[in-house]
Amino acid sequence: MPARFAIILMLALWPGLAHAHASEQGYVLLLPTDVYIAAGVASVALTVLLIALLPPGAAEALFRPATLWPRRRPALRHLTSCLSALFLGFLVWRGMTGPHDPMINPLPLFVWTVWWVALVAVQGLVGNLWGWINPVTGPAALIARLSGVRAPLRWPRRLGYWPAVALFLGFGGFLMADPAPTDPDRLSIVTGVYWCATLLGTLLFGPAFVVRAEMTTVIMRAYGRMAILGRARGCRALGVPGWQALAGPGVPLSLAVLMVVLLGTGSFDGINETFWWLVMLGLNPLEFPGRSVIIPQTLAGLVLVNLALITAFCACLWLGERLGGTRRPLAVAFRRFAPSILPIALGYHVAHYLTALLVDGQYVLKWLDDPLGRGANLLGLADTYVTTGFFNTQHTVRAIWLTQAGAVVAGHVVAILLAHALAMRDAADRRQAVLGQAPLAAFMVAYTFFGLWLLASPRGI
Amino acid sequence: MTKPIKTTTRRGALKTLAGGAAGAATLPLWARYGQAQSAEPIRIGFQVHRTGIGAAYGRWYDRTTQAAVKLINEEGGINGRMVEIVAEDDGTDPKRGAEVVEKFATQHNCDVGYGTLFSHVVVGSAPRAGELKLPYFVVSEGHHVASGMLNRYTLQPGITDVKSQVQAMAPFITGNLGKKVTMVFPDYGFGYDHRDNLGPAIEASGGEVIAKIAIPPSETSFTKYFPKIPRETEVLYHVMVGPAVLTFVKELGEFFGPARPEIFGFIDSLEAVDIASPGLEFLDGTYMWEGMPRHAQEDQSEFDRFYRGKVGVDARGASVSDPTDVSTYAHMFGCWETLFVIKAGMEAADYRGPDDRAALIEAVEAMTEMEHSRQHPQGAKLFNGKTHQVFGPQFISRVEDGFLRKVHTTSIEDTLYPDEVDYTTQPF
Repeated sequence: MPARFAIILMLALWPGLAHAHASEQGYVLLLPTDVYIAAGVASVALTVLLIALLPPGAAEALFRPATLWPRRRPALRHLTSCLSALFLGFLVWRGMTGPHDPMINPLPLFVWTVWWVALVAVQGLVGNLWGWINPVTGPAALIARLSGVRAPLRWPRRLGYWPAVALFLGFGGFLMADPAPTDPDRLSIVTGVYWCATLLGTLLFGPAFVVRAEMTTVIMRAYGRMAILGRARGCRALGVPGWQALAGPGVPLSLAVLMVVLLGTGSFDGINETFWWLVMLGLNPLEFPGRSVIIPQTLAGLVLVNLALITAFCACLWLGERLGGTRRPLAVAFRRFAPSILPIALGYHVAHYLTALLVDGQYVLKWLDDPLGRGANLLGLADTYVTTGFFNTQHTVRAIWLTQAGAVVAGHVVAILLAHALAMRDAADRRQAVLGQAPLAAFMVAYTFFGLWLLASPRGI
Repeated sequence: MTKPIKTTTRRGALKTLAGGAAGAATLPLWARYGQAQSAEPIRIGFQVHRTGIGAAYGRWYDRTTQAAVKLINEEGGINGRMVEIVAEDDGTDPKRGAEVVEKFATQHNCDVGYGTLFSHVVVGSAPRAGELKLPYFVVSEGHHVASGMLNRYTLQPGITDVKSQVQAMAPFITGNLGKKVTMVFPDYGFGYDHRDNLGPAIEASGGEVIAKIAIPPSETSFTKYFPKIPRETEVLYHVMVGPAVLTFVKELGEFFGPARPEIFGFIDSLEAVDIASPGLEFLDGTYMWEGMPRHAQEDQSEFDRFYRGKVGVDARGASVSDPTDVSTYAHMFGCWETLFVIKAGMEAADYRGPDDRAALIEAVEAMTEMEHSRQHPQGAKLFNGKTHQVFGPQFISRVEDGFLRKVHTTSIEDTLYPDEVDYTTQPF
């Protein structure tokens, strides 16, 4: 599984293809995607059947990590964080003063392609990279040390992770509804203001602010629970994706909701490009009139899809508690099982952005080749043009589609195994666990179908 | 080269300008280049579809633009000044497009706006360009410029419009393929442009459109529409676009088998798609309109060869660094030619800065014939200063074993139609 993820990680993504183009979408429509979808759904359904037959403790054993070496104190983290902050400052400056083309200016390339598309995936698949490059923690520590002033305020714990939930929804709205989220001018303001506000919050409230309110760190830490590398018993440890979710402490309700919202938002990011959604909005899918025409609809869709997902998740849990006879309060069950949603969200993230990474990643390489636009040719790419040729041949489109589908299916398989292991913890016996988990498992099988359908659907954006 | 009208009397500014341009041209190249490097650059605001539905076109429009500007600068720039492209992404969004035009005029000190492809973005942006008095050179193929719905500041001097393209196809179709034509088109504006313009032209050339089959835009399977094609159809004219085009071709092949009518389509359906792709075998022997032949022909002009070399496109219309990366060859020449029209216009108007914008418009309006040349590699052109629209040759190619072989080149006269507007009567 990790090998599969690693392969996926080496690739990358992109959504926008011209309406007058057959291109990638045209080839996807020629693929036997109904067969692929059936195979993917069957794989996930088979996983459900298999775990019903597994001996008790087998799933838990699967997630047991192997310890590697003693964990050293991360002395350099503040240094790398400060360097990261300096680089962010450089990017914001380039956003304000550099080229206005979002494929040339490094700010949109690094915010959207490197950070949002690639780093989130690396964090979720490999390990906690964000802890090293968080551009706030180092400068906050440095300022506190130089000034000798400790955080004067105490972060109100009753707020939980709700500020991060709200911020993430706002981020989703910016990503999907804003007419120009890649505009360097606009992005430099958004990024710069957010960084300053976060730094200020950290100085006022201390590290609790970063890990509870700061959206980026909260989602990175959440996805970090899915990574293969982590720590256990004072050592670096390696395990199958999801082992850290099982090994770690339970999550509070607000963080559990965020985990579900990660999937809901990721799902809507796919839905809102489909012919199906555009026709629902009364638009001609071959003549998309532009984002600015549908800002309220997009925001409403984002909220509604998240509410629908939370409701469906709750309904499955409620039914499961009754079928299994455990009858825990819904909030307890929600907190217990929400981490099992994370691998699905991560699988979606990888699948949805794979094509964008493949294209925009080339622009990042082109920038690295000549960071200051003076013909440096550091990587020898000066004479290489950005290509989308892999969207124009059947075998490459099939490989890309199957990789995306593989990410979706793998995410659901891990989710089902993880949910089973979590269910076994409280259940009196395996029968009770399997029964209690049945509605959620059925939901995940259905969600596999939905995810693969999304990948196979014609898109109008 | 672009020729200003020499006889015009209502444009006094031109006279002085012709002298200025001639003066600049007499300077040795090194001297012009030296001056160019020291002066403030000419800023061309490039409204590019970087994101949104136009992104695939935008990438090639950008590549062509960069190549043309590099060449212009290597040859001394415009009026001794380097050209700087200020690219802004409009998200293929009309409202955003208008904002971008405003940024060109008010923030970036651009001399002109340029490069817009998608019609709805042009229509959304042009009024703002008119209000801000920013010359706005579009490369969109739309009939909206020549129809009179835009304004004096909006021009389309580098690419022909769809109305002239469609009507120029009719004589070839009725003369060579058949008289009884059935049209299959998407059921919205783009399809209606073809429906409304082809029918009268087919009738004028002695043919008849016997059926018009409109396909809902959200359709992804077409078999249920094919039985509506009348049996007596001699020519099937299709202009399908969107992700389901390959499915359309495949299902059409399955429906007809070897006993098919003649088939005529527009390359727009398969722009940037390799015509030799598996699944497109059915297109063998069918005909396509091309704005510029994608595959280098036996009689390839030196100008086409030169243009391909500069843009980095091989003999099959694909990127020289990736033969699977097929370009939008039928359209992107419009960027190249438009930039050379801007250059010629600025030189004719002795353009010095934003105060000369009206003179620039007048200089372009005064243009008529443009020779087939490095600046106009697609072919000779005729510019209509009243309608702000250029006219030029159209090409018809036959698909032969994965090769688009040019079988007919229309005359410019085939593409002309009566003027629908006279922008020169509008005040600046």
